[in-house]
Amino acid sequence: MGVTQWGVTSSESYRMQSKLSDIELIQQTLAGNQAAYADLVKRHQRFVFTLAMRFSKVREDAEEIAQDCFIKAYRSLASFQGQSKFSTWLYSIVYTTAMTFLRKKRVDTDSIDDESTYIQIENHASAYDVNNAENRSRSFYLDQAIAQLLPDDAAIITLFYKGEQSLEEIGKMMNMETNTVKVKLFRARQRLREKLERNLKHETKDLI
Amino acid sequence: MNSIEEILWNYIDGNCSPEEQRIVSTLIAEDESYRLKYQELVALSNNLSEMELDEPSMAFTYNVMEGIRAEHALVPLKARVNKRIIMGIALFFSITLLALLVFILLNVKLPAHILPANSSLNFKIPDINSGKEKMIVQAFIFFDVVLGLYLLDGFLRRKADPKQA
Repeated sequence: MGVTQWGVTSSESYRMQSKLSDIELIQQTLAGNQAAYADLVKRHQRFVFTLAMRFSKVREDAEEIAQDCFIKAYRSLASFQGQSKFSTWLYSIVYTTAMTFLRKKRVDTDSIDDESTYIQIENHASAYDVNNAENRSRSFYLDQAIAQLLPDDAAIITLFYKGEQSLEEIGKMMNMETNTVKVKLFRARQRLREKLERNLKHETKDLI
Repeated sequence: MNSIEEILWNYIDGNCSPEEQRIVSTLIAEDESYRLKYQELVALSNNLSEMELDEPSMAFTYNVMEGIRAEHALVPLKARVNKRIIMGIALFFSITLLALLVFILLNVKLPAHILPANSSLNFKIPDINSGKEKMIVQAFIFFDVVLGLYLLDGFLRRKADPKQA
């Protein structure tokens, strides 16, 4: 039985993690129990990391963004009022941190809305898996197409389908009207379908 | 007028009113183009819901907690001390000193012989116009002026180029 750095055995930690709600873990953290915060991190890290990946497209950067988010969240945990879900509050931190990261990273004058920025990624992805048809499952194509989307589009799709966030919550998070989010989600899905169709067309040509 | 796709996405996402929902259901059942598009969009929606989340590195949680711990360690002691306690102590001493001063002033009665009847105090100012003392005072003033100019120069340089500071 492994003992974590915070003096909690891994099985105890897992039990605690699965039993307590986010709010209870926050209360314990605020009372000085850092292991409770470690559990909160474990609970949300996959989604936060995925969301960060939608923006940065590079694992190392995404990990840095995600870590930064959890540290920021810890710092301002006392200011979390519980008026929204903890996940909504946390994802809004991810959104602002990722946007700041992108702004800092954009040293050249290219806009992040410029799709040409992502052509390289697309080429890289296709070059990476050349002739590896076995790996090309449905989820592979979906991941590939999402990686080619603009950060905002990819983030909205991820938040809606995997983050269990309503359009209103996404709107609050991104500082947008619910209707704007609805339109953006619609357009993002349209672009995703276009990318999927284009990629699949390329793949069929490659296979022939 | 909304496109077929937009209508169907609203239907799939559950953003339709009951009336709209009924109409779209009928369209899907009766219209081939609606039915095909609906099947296509539902398949995409299902795929999106089933997509796997990315997994961060094994040490992710550890790194976050280390970051938090390091941040705690970096906080200087003065930032960790509750300012209200410091203010309380300062207030206590200020009040005590003030009270003591008032008490002393009210209770002290100077004997009459200490203060002369003619209260104009007769201080003797040292004569600095003579030889050696004059030179010491001039050297002292000269040193002060040089020091002052040196500090002013440093201040103006810092102001002109803040990056250097």
